[in-house]
This record gives sequence, structure tokens and C-alpha cells, in this order.
Amino acid sequence: MCALLVAVAPGVGRAQDTALSGYMDFHYNKTEFEDGRLDFHRFVVLLTHRFSDRIRFVGELEVEHAFVEGLEEGGELELEQAYVDFLFSRSFNIRAGMLLMPVGIINERHEPPTYYGVERPFVDTFLIPTTWFEAGAGVHGEVGRGWRYRAYVAAPLNAAKFSAEEGLREGRQKGSNANARSLATTGRLEYVGIRGLTAGASFWAGNSGFEFEPRFGVPVRVFDLDARYSRDRVDLRGEFAHVSVQNAGELNDALFRQSGVNPNVAGGMQGNYLEAGYRLLSGRRFGEVGAFVRHERFDTQFRMPAGYIPLPQFDRQAWVVGATYWPDPDIAIKVDYVVQRNRSTSIAAPNSFNVGLGWWF
Amino acid sequence: MRALVVLAAWLAVAVSTPRLQAPERDAPVQTVEVSAERFTFTPSQIKTTLGTTLRIRLRSDDTTHGFRIVGTNTNIEVPKRGHGVATVDFTPEHAGKYEFQCAKLCGAGHAFMRGVIVVKDAGAR
Repeated sequence: MCALLVAVAPGVGRAQDTALSGYMDFHYNKTEFEDGRLDFHRFVVLLTHRFSDRIRFVGELEVEHAFVEGLEEGGELELEQAYVDFLFSRSFNIRAGMLLMPVGIINERHEPPTYYGVERPFVDTFLIPTTWFEAGAGVHGEVGRGWRYRAYVAAPLNAAKFSAEEGLREGRQKGSNANARSLATTGRLEYVGIRGLTAGASFWAGNSGFEFEPRFGVPVRVFDLDARYSRDRVDLRGEFAHVSVQNAGELNDALFRQSGVNPNVAGGMQGNYLEAGYRLLSGRRFGEVGAFVRHERFDTQFRMPAGYIPLPQFDRQAWVVGATYWPDPDIAIKVDYVVQRNRSTSIAAPNSFNVGLGWWF
Repeated sequence: MRALVVLAAWLAVAVSTPRLQAPERDAPVQTVEVSAERFTFTPSQIKTTLGTTLRIRLRSDDTTHGFRIVGTNTNIEVPKRGHGVATVDFTPEHAGKYEFQCAKLCGAGHAFMRGVIVVKDAGAR
């Protein structure tokens, strides 16, 4: 292995005061029984500015699905991160602004070349609604040989947007004039002391029933355990997530009175996945090729409130198999096939074929 | 004239060739292998003693990272996965803690990429 000897010249000790980076994600999705779709899924620009060695700003602005028009579902312009860090020491720092919720593997580490698969895992879509960001503030730091923590308060999820199919996904307030009558708390403890290994536990707790008259509580809890190991050619990861929605029966009743439709929101949701990847080819000139397989279970009707029956089509599992070609470590060309199954005897879960191109700069 | 040309060429090469920061004369050298990955340095805590030169060899497991020791002139780029190792020598001037951080925006969690060099004064009680 060649060694690159780096000059250390006087005057280079200052980091860049302002820097720009970003990532993009372009997909072709062909779902069974539907027409294929081409989607420029994400166009993200990251911006950082260093006011001093102790104060810095990080921002992340995203255009989703390439087109934004009023309240159309076609696209979104999202401010996913915009915070100021006050860096006191390695073990204690304060952060405030628009924050990524520190839950799971993908939410805080979601650049396309960093994960296998064209789309993010289902568990990191429906149970942990990535990209999950809210306005808030908190502390973070690292102690000892690789023990990290984050603890934030932030705007809660909005239970009026929960659903039987997509779980918590639409409940994010996204820091947009968010109701903050009762702040949510979230935190994560993780160990990063061994090269290639990240193992963590996360929680999120908030009262999400603020949109109803008369008001009633809908306490929501999210708990996650995850681990990721990546060394040389091997990539392994696993995640378990559990969601509890208290007073889900009262929530369903209130939503039924509003819309005339029973949303059948569950009192409990649960999911997990295991993934293994291996880099089959590796060379500096042509890049790397890796193959992977992932198995997911995700049940957004895991435990129902009294009087409600679970919809079996939303108790799902999926096998995802595919490959990634990295012509450069910052460019990923992906292809995968998703085989989905559910417990319904009448509604089939569609399979899908996906191709993606993602890059970081 | 030929000597002048040779001297000029030698100077041009000497100025443009990347090089290690020269370790302090006769200082013992402690070599540390550090991996950089979104969004972690491993190890993130390096212990040494005053008077020792740290030779830090940095390798990225993904994208380009930076390695900057706050309050010093040490600020280098760590090349992408598979593109080599960056090596830097650092001789602490005093006992205490030196923080280091990624100085190249590398992703959503870039701000978490930090660590510390703990320097003990071996002669102090």
C-alpha cells in the first residue's frame, strides 16, 4: 500500500471557514403491476461555516422528487439540518436549530454511497421515518474510548398523520411552524471504539395528540437497537425498532369523526432487518463491486387497540437482493430486486426492480 | 551554469514534494494507526507523553476526510478509500489535551468526527 506523505506547511492549520458539499440520488423503480418510474429522488446541498474553533454551523437543504409546487405531493423542499454547534469539549457540546433525530442507522448517515440498496430499508421508512428532522436543541459528546451520546428536545410527531400502512411516516412536523406545546425528548448512546463497528440504542418519546378538540394525550415511544460493522470487504448491519402509540383507540375514533374514514392506527408497531454485504471486486483503477442481501420484517399493525382488528396486508416482510458498483468511493451505481410478502390472503404485496445512481461530492 | 540549473531543479523538487513534518531531533516516535469513516475516527482518543513525536497514519474507509488538530498548524487531507494513507508527525508542545476534528465536510454527521490527544508529562508527579 502506498503511503501518501502529506506536507504540513505553516498557515494551513485553519480549516475552511465555509464549505459546500452535497449528494444526489436518481432512481428507476419498476413496481409489479405498475408502470416504471424515473425519479430524481434527492438533490441535497450541505453547507457548513466555522465562526471559530468553538462555534460552527451546519445546514442541509434538500429537494425531493425534483419538483415542488404548492401543496402537490410531487416534491418537497426540506431544510433537513440547520443548527449551530457550541463546542465546549469532546465530552460536552450544545447544539440548537434543525436537528436530525438520533434514531437508528440511516437517519444520521444517509449519503447514498454509504448503504446498500436503491431505496432505504422499510424499517427506516415506516417505523423510523427517515429523514427525521425537527427543530430543537440538546447536548452531545463522546467520552472514554468511543462512547457517544446525544440528548435533544424537539417538536413532537403529529399523531393525526399516522396511518395503518405507513406507520409514523407522515407524522413528522419537519420544523415547519411545528406545534411545541409538549416537547419530545430523544437520545442515543452508541459505541464506536472498535474500527468499523457502530452499535447503538436510541429512544424517542413525545406526546403527539395536540391536533384534536377536546385534546387528549397520545404518548408515542420509539425504541431502537442497531449495529453496523464494516471492515475491508465485509458489511454487516442489523436493526430492531419498536413503536408504541398509547390511546390509539381514542386516536382512531377522533380521526374517524374528522374524516369519516377509520385510519386503523396501531397501538404497537415493530420491525427489524438483517443485512450482509460483501465486496466481490476491489481495485483502485476500476473501483469496487459489492453484493448484498437484506431481510426485513415490518409490521405497522403489530398490536391493535381494543375493538380494532389488524390489517394483515400491513404485516410485511421483504427480501432485498442486489449489487452496488462504486467506480469511485463517492459514486454508487445500484441495482436490486425486492420480494415482498404479507399475511393477507387477498391483497398481494408487490415486488419491485430498482436501479439507482447516487453520488457525494 | 550547469550547477545553477541543477540547483534550481533541486530547489523546485524540494519545495513541491509533499513531506512529513520533521520530528524533533532525538524525540522518541510513537506511531498510531487511525481510521476515518463517516462519522468516526478510530481510535478517537490517543494517549502520549510529552517529548514524544506522534506519527499518525490516517486511512479512510469511505470518502475524503480532513484531520485537523485544533490550535496547531496540523491540517491534512485523508484520501478516499483505497487511495492511500496520509501520515503526519505531531510533537506536542505542552501536556494536556489537543482536540482533533474532521476538517473536510463529509456528510450529515460531519460535526461528530472529533477526537482528542491526551498528552501526559512523564516527568511530572
